[in-house]
Amino acid sequence: MTNVIEVSDLTKNFGSLAAVNSATFTVSENKIYGLLGRNGAGKTTLMQLLTGQDFASSGTIRVFGESPVENAHVLERISFIKESQRYPDDFRAKHVFRTAPWFFANWDADFASQLIEEFRLPLDRRIKKMSRGQVSAIGVVVGLASRAPLTFFDEPYLGLDAVARQLFYDRLLEDYAQRPRTVILSTHLIDEVANLLEHVLVIDQGRIIIDEDAESLRGSATAVVGTASAVDAFVGTREVLHRDAIGGLASVTIARLDRAEREAAATAGLELSAVSLQQLIIRRTNTSEKEFQSA
Amino acid sequence: MSTVLPAPFTPATPVGRIINVVRLHLANPWTTIFMPWIVLFAVFLANLAIWWIIYTAAGGATDPEVTEGLQYSGATSWIFVYMIVVAAQAMSVTFPFALGFGVTRRDFYLGSAVTFVLLSAMYSIGMTVLSVVEDATNGWGIGGRMFSAVYFGDSWPQRLFIYFAIFLFFFFVGAAIASIWVRWRATGLTVFFIALGALAVAGVALVTFTANWASVGGFFLRAGFIGSFAWSLVLTALAAVTGFVLLRRATPRN
Repeated sequence: MTNVIEVSDLTKNFGSLAAVNSATFTVSENKIYGLLGRNGAGKTTLMQLLTGQDFASSGTIRVFGESPVENAHVLERISFIKESQRYPDDFRAKHVFRTAPWFFANWDADFASQLIEEFRLPLDRRIKKMSRGQVSAIGVVVGLASRAPLTFFDEPYLGLDAVARQLFYDRLLEDYAQRPRTVILSTHLIDEVANLLEHVLVIDQGRIIIDEDAESLRGSATAVVGTASAVDAFVGTREVLHRDAIGGLASVTIARLDRAEREAAATAGLELSAVSLQQLIIRRTNTSEKEFQSA
Repeated sequence: MSTVLPAPFTPATPVGRIINVVRLHLANPWTTIFMPWIVLFAVFLANLAIWWIIYTAAGGATDPEVTEGLQYSGATSWIFVYMIVVAAQAMSVTFPFALGFGVTRRDFYLGSAVTFVLLSAMYSIGMTVLSVVEDATNGWGIGGRMFSAVYFGDSWPQRLFIYFAIFLFFFFVGAAIASIWVRWRATGLTVFFIALGALAVAGVALVTFTANWASVGGFFLRAGFIGSFAWSLVLTALAAVTGFVLLRRATPRN
C-alpha cells in the first residue's frame, strides 16, 4: 500500500499555543479519510500544513514523497477546498469554473456542469452576493470536478442544506468508486459522514488521539443499557468510557465485548447497543481531556 | 460569456504555470481593464465640457494662457492610485484563492508581476496615443490638455516612458504594501507606516541640519526630467523584491 502522506513529529506553534502537537501519521492512497475534531482542535492548521499553505515549526511532512512547501509538482496534484475560501471580489461563479481547469489536469467539465445544475448554482451571480450555501457549493463542485489525486475538504458545507449535503456525499462516493483517489474530509458532522469514511483521524488540542480504521473503530465500544444496579454489576471493573443515568436506568459505554460477555449481559437482562462514531469520538475526546488535565 | 465549459487544459510547464496566473488575474477583465478605461473616458468627457465652456466664453478661440494653465492638469492622477488598489486586491484576495488552486507562492508572485507589467504597458501605450492625438488636434480642437500634461514630458517617447514608470511604481508599491498586510495584517501596516513616517522625518531633518537641500535639488537637476523618473524604477524594483520576499513566507488566512 502506497502512502500519499507521511507526517512525522509535526508541530506548529502559534506563540505558546501548539495548534498541531507532535503529530505522526500516514495517509494511504485511494482511501477516504475523516479528519475529525472539535472547533479549534487543529484540523484546518493541519490541512494548511499538508498543502504547503502554512509552515511547520518542527517535524517533517512528505506528500507524494516530497515536501509540499512551494513544490509545484506536489501542489498541482492537490485540491484544497476550504470552508471560508475567499474569491476575487469581482468574480462570478462562472469565472471560478472557467479558471479551475487551468490548474487541475484532471478537471472534468461535464461533471462540473452536472454538479452546477444539481446544486442549482447561479453562474452569473457575483460570489459576494451569493448565500453562504451557494458559496460552499462552488467549493464542493471544484473539489469534486478537479479530481485531484489528493483532495482536501475542510468543512466544505457550511450553509448547505441537508439535501445539498446528501448530494455531496452521494456524488463523492459515486465518483470515488469510479475514479479512486485520496480524500481527506474534515468535519464535525461526524454521523453524517460516518458511512463514507474508511479511516478516521481524530485531532484534539493539536494531538492525533485516534488513528484507526473506521470499521474497527465502530466496533470498538458497546453501550450496556438496563437497570442501574444490573449495569453496574455487569460493568464491574471494566473501563467506563461514558455513563448516563436516568432514574433507576443506566447506559454505560465500555470497550468491545466478546461473545461470552455478550451472552452474560443478555442473561443479566441487559441490552447491548452499538455506539455511533460520533458518540464514540465525543467520549474518547472527553477522556483525553481528562488525561491532559491530570498530566 | 456564459459558457460554462472552460478552455482546454494548459500543460503545466514552469512557464505555463506563470501564464496561468496571469490568465487568472485577467479572467474577469472588468476591474482591471474595462472599468479604468470607462472612468478615464468619463473624466475626459467632463474635462471636454469644461474646456468647451472656456473655449466658448473666450469667444470661440483657444486662449494661449488657458492652454498654458491646462498643462498642469491632474485629471489622470486617479488612475495611478486606482492601480494601487488593483495590486492590493491581487495580493490580498487573489493570493489565497490561487493557493487553493495549488499555485506556489513563487509562481503566483511572478505571474502577478507579469500581469502588472502587461497592464502598465497597455495603459501607458493607450495614454501615450491619446496624448499624441491631443497634440495633433491642438487639444481636441479647443485647446484642452489632459494626456499631454507637463509632468508626462513633451514628446511621445518621453510620455511612454514616464507613464510606464509611474504605472509600474504604483503597481509594485501597492503589491508590496499589500504583502505586508497579507503577512502581518493591520499590525504590520501600522508598524510600516510609522516607520516610513519616522524615516521621512529623519531624512528631512538630516538634509536640513546638514544644510544639504541644495545638493538634493542638484541631484534632481543633474538627473534631469527623464532621469528623475528613471530613478523611480529603483524604488519600484526595491518594492518588487520586497513584495516577493514577504509573500514567499505568507500564509493565507481568513
